[in-house]
Amino acid sequence: MTPHTLALPDYREQLPEVAARFGKIRQRPVVLSVKGLRKDFGGNGASHTVFNNVSLDIHRREFVTIIGPSGCGKSTFIRIVAGLDEATGGEILLDGKAIRGPGPDRGMVFQGYTLFPWRTVKQNVMFGLEMRGQGTSAAESEARQWLEMVGLSKFENSYPHELSGGMKQRVAIARALANEPQILIMDEPFGALDALTRCKMQSYLLQIWKKVNVTILFITHDLDEAVLLSDRIMVLGVNPGGVREIIENPVPRPRSVDQMLTPTFLSVKRRLDELIHGPVSEQEEEKLPVIKLTEAGDEVE
Amino acid sequence: MANADWLGLKNELPQRRRLVLTLLSFVVPLALWCAVSYVPWLWHPNVRVTVPGDVDYFVEEMELPRADFQRELEKVRAAGGTLPEGDRVNPLYLPPPHKVAIAFYTAFTTEPRLQGEPWLHESLGHSIRTILWGFFLSSIFGVPLGILCGTYRFFSRLQEPFIEFFRYLPAPAFGALCVAILGIDDGPKIAIIFIGTFFQQVLVIGNTVRKVDPALIEAAQTLGSRGWKLMRCVVIPASLSEIYTDMRILLGWAWTYLIVAEVVGTMSGITLFINQQARYRNFDNVYAAIFMIGVIGLTSDMVLAALGKVLFPWKRRAGGGRWSVLEWIREPGSLFIKQKPKPPAAPVAEISKD
Repeated sequence: MTPHTLALPDYREQLPEVAARFGKIRQRPVVLSVKGLRKDFGGNGASHTVFNNVSLDIHRREFVTIIGPSGCGKSTFIRIVAGLDEATGGEILLDGKAIRGPGPDRGMVFQGYTLFPWRTVKQNVMFGLEMRGQGTSAAESEARQWLEMVGLSKFENSYPHELSGGMKQRVAIARALANEPQILIMDEPFGALDALTRCKMQSYLLQIWKKVNVTILFITHDLDEAVLLSDRIMVLGVNPGGVREIIENPVPRPRSVDQMLTPTFLSVKRRLDELIHGPVSEQEEEKLPVIKLTEAGDEVE
Repeated sequence: MANADWLGLKNELPQRRRLVLTLLSFVVPLALWCAVSYVPWLWHPNVRVTVPGDVDYFVEEMELPRADFQRELEKVRAAGGTLPEGDRVNPLYLPPPHKVAIAFYTAFTTEPRLQGEPWLHESLGHSIRTILWGFFLSSIFGVPLGILCGTYRFFSRLQEPFIEFFRYLPAPAFGALCVAILGIDDGPKIAIIFIGTFFQQVLVIGNTVRKVDPALIEAAQTLGSRGWKLMRCVVIPASLSEIYTDMRILLGWAWTYLIVAEVVGTMSGITLFINQQARYRNFDNVYAAIFMIGVIGLTSDMVLAALGKVLFPWKRRAGGGRWSVLEWIREPGSLFIKQKPKPPAAPVAEISKD
């Protein structure tokens, strides 16, 4: 039985304004340049290559998302960019300079919030500024501005454990942005949130991105999230690991949840689905070897 | 659901029940002691002579095993003399609770038998001083070293194997050595508490610091924290409340070394008091003194726990009480409220659609 399928446009078709936008993005200077990145795990003979020859240029104020099945090394990739892991080969340039270890020029938002539990919300946002050697009063007023931007001024003296998951993640974003990083790296930041909060956070992130001079490198395993947020989507695969395709997202901006049912949106989503799970025709539902335990005539379908 | 079962796994009990159980944990052993002391046919293996009768070696107030008394009684009965009389009593070393309770007070008011001997409060003070010195000296070296070992593999590899070896050497074994080096006064006693505490302290604190969530350290690194600042601003504050708890437990261990330490060199402090009272056969005082150590230990731990809640406000979770008595002491009213009123839920700021 074939369900009704829509005739979707080619995901490579772009409206003139979308094409113009990509043209403008390409004109901007490259913030982050990844060249021939390779990562092996294990070593000593039994090594396993997670990905190989990954190259990507991210331009200023671009929103790039990395997506892929589990095990494709998207988290590893992002951790290497953040300087928390080391690559086996290749190089990463930030503003033309090779990165060495973690640094405040690459802000990071983790899935697990990672707020400092002993610091209040305001003190959390002040952390990076203090590390930079800024005086307390200056850091404090700056932190207040960032908290106002993420709408948490009222909670500046609360401790993280008193906040909801979405609020914690907003504090984490404010904390990372307060450092004014060249690039904001987000590792499945909304993965632990419920669907409703996640949806709010997505539109929220788009607003922040519009207001703040920041380039975003985002990881998700959620196709809708990837299409809703990004300019370009890099799809990583497994066996062999590496880049499957870098898609220029044709969905016009400004984005909203309403676009999620437009043919353009769906065309990108279907392409992502193909790349990650294989073409629709080849997808076979695995039959589970379950013995029938219900009575005849008690069918659900 | 407050009337759910008492034995739910991992279920926190309602406050009232927690208090009941806490009280029971003290009341049950006390009740056992009372029963043995006040129910005359329970145990009471001895007889105290009230009327010597015709037994020539019996005198009033004399105590002897029941079997011996019975044998003498039979002999006198056979001979047709005046029968001796006596009460069943427990041996001297098990005084009844009320005598110990009285001793709790009188021990402080009784003048020492010999001139120059310390009063009880002086003995206790001496003991507390010895402990605090030993613990303090151990901590000023042990805590920083533990933090270093927990933070840097370098120090951990360099220090911990030796410390691991050394902690198996029983502290009292160093008694003679300590006396030879430090004399016979308080020096060797403090040294033994130091030896007993220090090596455990480094390992325990090192372990605690190692348990700091690595994600917090990574987050701090991406915020520009490194080297010394990373340790001062992340590793130490992240483990401080756990270190504080470790210190409370370690202080308890220090008390266990006290008695051994105090017999080294010239006997002093509470150990001297206990030994002398035992020699005078004032066993009620002996029990009182032993229990006093318990009371001091428990009280100081409760004070430190309460202080910890003030020092580490982020550890205060709504409703999650660990020890009911503590809560009860802090806010006696809370006992009579079934459920603590929850703070109003924080409103999530509205986010407009893009």
